[in-house]
Amino acid sequence: MKTAAVLIIAIISQAIGNVYLTKGMKAVKAASIDDALMSTALRAAGSPTVWLGTALLIVFFVLYSAALSWADLSFVLPATAFGYVLNVAAGHYFLNESVSPARWAGSAIITLGVFLVSRSGVRTIPRAELL
Amino acid sequence: MMTAVMIAIVVLGGSAGDVFITKGMKQTGEISTVHLGKLARVAMRVLRNVNFLIGIFFMACSFFAFLAVLSWADLSFVLPATSLSFVITTIGAKFVLKEEISRLRLAGTLLVCVGVALISLP
Repeated sequence: MKTAAVLIIAIISQAIGNVYLTKGMKAVKAASIDDALMSTALRAAGSPTVWLGTALLIVFFVLYSAALSWADLSFVLPATAFGYVLNVAAGHYFLNESVSPARWAGSAIITLGVFLVSRSGVRTIPRAELL
Repeated sequence: MMTAVMIAIVVLGGSAGDVFITKGMKQTGEISTVHLGKLARVAMRVLRNVNFLIGIFFMACSFFAFLAVLSWADLSFVLPATSLSFVITTIGAKFVLKEEISRLRLAGTLLVCVGVALISLP
């Protein structure tokens, strides 16, 4: 239950973070006069949208690491792959990206895979084994 | 050839990073508090854990190799190739972290790998 709650918040933060990061970086690119890497980097560092996206991705990483303090890596990693499905959906609804049938099929296959992994238990190693 | 080497660094670096980070977090112990002061102390312990820091180092190598390879290869080729990391990381979890990979978990992981590859195609 705790694992599910932490991972769901992590995945949602990641999906929203990616949307903001994409929005921010596209705006930065559109506002750039030249294509110089340095000026793009500086503009990105001054964009609140890019910072918001980055902050949300940090939230994702902190929660992901926290989950790894008690759950198996071989559980957490495939489970967080559900984030790809959210990213596809978010890209479609918020960024107006076109989503090919192959992408929707991939999303469905990931969802099925995550469902199977979620039935396999959160932790298989005893507590003291790695200490 | 160079592309294959870089993708190998992306995949292996990412998997090694995940394995070391998991080792570090397991050594830190289960986080089961929402008390801010206690969480801050846990964070300090995590940031001083050698395995965790090695994990971050591998992740950084993987990320920079990813950026580098994108400077000459297509994202639509690189991204599906990195979906292999789900399988490599699971192998690492089994043999290094001694996690039990049941048939159910293996089947789910393989489906995720195929699904991620499909999503990443152009």
